[in-house]
Amino acid sequence: MIANRKVLTDDMLARIEALASRYPTKQALTLPALHVVHDELRHVPLDAVVEIAELLDLAPAEVQDTLTFYQFFYQEKPHGKVRAFVCRSISCALRGGEQVLDHLCEKAGIKPGETTSDGNITIEPAECLGACDFAPCMLAGNDLHKDLTPEKADAFLESVGRQNG
Amino acid sequence: MPTVIVDDQEIEIGADERLNCIEVARRAGVEIPHYCWHPGLSVVASCRMCLIQAGTRNAETGEVSMIPKLVPGCQTPVKDGTVIVTNSEAVQESRARVEEALLIDHPIDCPICDKAGECLLQDYHFEHGQSERRADIHAFSSRRRDVGPTVTLFVDRCIMCTRCVRFTREVSGTAELMVSARGAKEEIDTFPGFPLDNKLAGNVVDLCPVGALGDKDFLYQQRVWFLKKTENVCGGCAAGCSIVTEHNQDTVYRLKPRENLHVNKWWMCDEGRYGWHHLHNATRIVEVSHRNNEDSQAIEWADVLRRLPKELTDAGRLGIAVSPMLTVEEAWMLCSVARTIDPDAYLAVGHVPSTGADESFPGGFTIRGEKAPNRIGVEMVLSMFGTVSESGTVPGWNDFLEQVRAKTIQSAWVTAGYPTPETSWCDEATAAPFEELNCLVVQDLFESPLSNRATWCLPAVGFAERSGTWVNCGHRAQTFEQAIRPPAGVWPEGRFFWNLLGRSGLYDPESIRKQIAESSANFAVLSGDVPSIGLDLRLQQVAGT
Amino acid sequence: MSSFDTFEPVLLEAAGIDDGHTIESYRSRGGYAPLEKLLSEKQPPEVVEMVKSSGLRGRGGAGFMTGLKWTFLPKDHPGPIYLCVNADESEPGTFNNRILMEDDPHQVLEGTIISAYATRASTAYIYLRYEYPKSWDILQKAIDEAYAAGFLGENIKGSGFSLDIYLHRGAAAYICGEETGLIESLEGKRAWPRIKPPFPAIEGVFRKPTVVNNIETMACVAQIARRGVDWFRSIGIPADPNNPRDPGSYGPKLYCLSGHVEKPGCYEAPLGITARELIDRFGGGVWKGRQAKAVIPGGISMGLMTEDELDTPLDFAGPGTVGCLGLGTAAVVVVDETVSIVDFLHNSCRFFAHESCGQCTPCREGTSWSLRMLERIRAGKGRLRDLDLLAEIGDTMGMMPGSTICGLADGAAWPIKNSIAKFRDEFEDYIKQTNPTGYMETDPVPALPIVTTH
Repeated sequence: MIANRKVLTDDMLARIEALASRYPTKQALTLPALHVVHDELRHVPLDAVVEIAELLDLAPAEVQDTLTFYQFFYQEKPHGKVRAFVCRSISCALRGGEQVLDHLCEKAGIKPGETTSDGNITIEPAECLGACDFAPCMLAGNDLHKDLTPEKADAFLESVGRQNG
Repeated sequence: MPTVIVDDQEIEIGADERLNCIEVARRAGVEIPHYCWHPGLSVVASCRMCLIQAGTRNAETGEVSMIPKLVPGCQTPVKDGTVIVTNSEAVQESRARVEEALLIDHPIDCPICDKAGECLLQDYHFEHGQSERRADIHAFSSRRRDVGPTVTLFVDRCIMCTRCVRFTREVSGTAELMVSARGAKEEIDTFPGFPLDNKLAGNVVDLCPVGALGDKDFLYQQRVWFLKKTENVCGGCAAGCSIVTEHNQDTVYRLKPRENLHVNKWWMCDEGRYGWHHLHNATRIVEVSHRNNEDSQAIEWADVLRRLPKELTDAGRLGIAVSPMLTVEEAWMLCSVARTIDPDAYLAVGHVPSTGADESFPGGFTIRGEKAPNRIGVEMVLSMFGTVSESGTVPGWNDFLEQVRAKTIQSAWVTAGYPTPETSWCDEATAAPFEELNCLVVQDLFESPLSNRATWCLPAVGFAERSGTWVNCGHRAQTFEQAIRPPAGVWPEGRFFWNLLGRSGLYDPESIRKQIAESSANFAVLSGDVPSIGLDLRLQQVAGT
Repeated sequence: MSSFDTFEPVLLEAAGIDDGHTIESYRSRGGYAPLEKLLSEKQPPEVVEMVKSSGLRGRGGAGFMTGLKWTFLPKDHPGPIYLCVNADESEPGTFNNRILMEDDPHQVLEGTIISAYATRASTAYIYLRYEYPKSWDILQKAIDEAYAAGFLGENIKGSGFSLDIYLHRGAAAYICGEETGLIESLEGKRAWPRIKPPFPAIEGVFRKPTVVNNIETMACVAQIARRGVDWFRSIGIPADPNNPRDPGSYGPKLYCLSGHVEKPGCYEAPLGITARELIDRFGGGVWKGRQAKAVIPGGISMGLMTEDELDTPLDFAGPGTVGCLGLGTAAVVVVDETVSIVDFLHNSCRFFAHESCGQCTPCREGTSWSLRMLERIRAGKGRLRDLDLLAEIGDTMGMMPGSTICGLADGAAWPIKNSIAKFRDEFEDYIKQTNPTGYMETDPVPALPIVTTH
């Protein structure tokens, strides 16, 4: 089905195809397919876009159009092993969220939106994470970090460092 | 009849017509400014330039109730009693704001932008915009990147109307163009390795309201206000797309499609669009030459008129190959001249180039595999001269070659005019038998194995250098005017045949056309004026002329 | 009407219950029995009528009458009809959907199944924002439990009604919470909202009739089915008898309280509680003993109320009476007196510039322009003239004046409108103090490069 498969593994393909019966069109599989690849590789390389397009009978530009809209998927290179979203919307900003973001980035030695050189962590500003009851907050992987302080931020960075050596 | 009120004007529309406010306003002589709407594409109503006030007039009471907010004219259908207001203060302010918004981050490129002079952003700014800038100044020039082999993109000039993206998705079906990113950072782009290279690619440049997309072929060649526009017809294939030739000082600079809902709608293919360069190719035949001409002086046309008919008369039976590049009028004159010289002259359709099957696109456009504009017209002319066989066909090029090989004709006049400077349309093997003829006349644009064997080698002209009528594959006759003069010293076929016929004065294709119309039921409708979108010859016949 | 003193939470009844998210817990609290009863006793049009007469208005932000919206579906359509549940909750300050999904997913599911039955939908997609991974896991488990218990799938409880529910994951774009933005995203395209007409009920996802409803709306449907229309109508603010077009504000509402309060959280109260009551009764008052300077009534899109406007009832009609856009998501965010209104507005403009989908000119350029002006003002290069320009953007950008395709622009405009109208003096003082030599300038000035939108 895909002529020259270089990026999509059999497992990824299987997971995408398992969703096909949920939707009446192939194009609707675009976002789920992008997530499957991105979850695994931490980015969606250009070749993967071509393969997804072929799988879904779309032009690569159509898949790329969707991909770039979300400003969420990495493409050129993978994001860090941990991707930390620090909320900067109003409720978190009111309770020090921007200061925590600056502190985290300074400690990690990067600017907001960047990845550390060891590839361990990406720190990005995010818009409202829907956890305003625990502002300021941060989503790292599947973990919601609540009521962030500079101390908690430091502890988080240390634990990431420990996990990834 | 349903009536729509546009700025207090009452406009009647057809009972079955489905029109939006822009279309109906045009009938009232009011142009509602717009960028993203196009009759050949889906409606997105995203530019917001066409916002107007709309409402309904109660049929019984006459009371008018307007929708409280502005609505896009492109997405609002009209029906009986629709009221449209395009000139109120609210509408004017809305347009001024859209213009201002588009100019906030628009590069200061007018002096170096091809689109200047035909740019909607410029025009609307002048007509509808504010006189002073209020936004922060950000003086910069646009980045540029190629989106394909023939089209380039000045990224920052784009106003995000998405016409180009919709074209590649809906009309060409190739989907090479996309929007990338989100919000004010959006850009048009292609996917790496998948450039914009479909056969209809050039249409996106027509669609672009600003100077974002550009034809590499035309880039920086000419300022548009120097261009004169002549409506004519593309000679690239049997589709006969209605086009406009844009030229200056007898030089063609570009071709653009013309709207013709019966033929090409709003589009043309790249082969036709960029297929005018042969007109200015330096290797064109521009002089008359004769094989036995020891005198190195160029032969005057007056000499040709004097000598050629006599030479042909003395040469034996004459055969004429009538090129499908000729107009109906030229073809008829040529056949008349032939029969005057030799009442038994053999008439055949000349070589009809073909690249095989037609190619259709999802949006409904078709490129024809038959690469000549007037085969049907020439066949219909030939049938006026009693050449039709029992099976209803007229002789073609292969039949003509047969006659040459069998020596049933002793002299031949081959009209050609094919736009093929590099690879000749006639190879050595095909040309060889012509060697045996007593007299060979070849009338063509470029040298070929055939012209090299010619007794008389005459120049021909191209599509933009002639006026007349072509009949396309759909039996639609389209009449067009000459756009540019051929190279100095070249007589177009029309002028030459007119003189051979003994007519005086300047070549007048209209009089020939009317004469043809009187003599042939097939062409009867050409006796009157031919509208710029042409006439379907079959329909008119059925209508009982 | 019920008073706030005697009101017992129903939407949040699972709060504090261990394993409240399991099907066993839900059933022990009375859940799914109403569904079974409806399936055996009522036909879909009757269920539509039930929801319609309850007066339930959508909880996603627009407040359109839910039952009425369902009647827009074409009668006798051969199908398929789709139900999309909008779990893309992204309005700053809002988190009630998250709590409903995490704490009581079966309440949401039962409401969804009932709604699908009423609208004859055969497939329901729950469009869930990327940033809620915990909700994803919990919801998926609950869906699996519902299938296992026979409340989903083919021929549910022998009723002849079949339904599949699928989770569909978003990718961090606010505009996917807009009804047709969600639909476009679900179809696999960029989430550019569609022009209307056609409305989703006629031509929605995959070009089929579609209804899009919010998570909290689904939970309300489950409660209406369990406790009845009269119960629902006994809560909230009834329709004004003198105004035939007022649909009233019925039922319980989840109010999210955050920002400068002692106890941020999600609190359930009858529709119509005032901001002051919410802050003082539930939120422990403004934090650190301070005063409120401004309060957002329903997510940042709704604009701002001043301290003396805090007694406005937070029902569908109230915030509009003090110049706010509406109730929105009922996310109340408190801003104390130490916050500069300039910083507040900058945060808002940055959000909307980042989230604008970019399709239509006034929003794409207006959100960007207003952010640039706020950046310049904060950089000490503001002018008084900027306030007039901002106010004009605030007045002209949006679906309500007709200049844009969707309501994101209205949401972007309202905080600008309210801030400048209600806090103009503070803006002027700030500009004069930070740009003493240039604040009177009226000609355009050089643009600054934007650094804070990523």
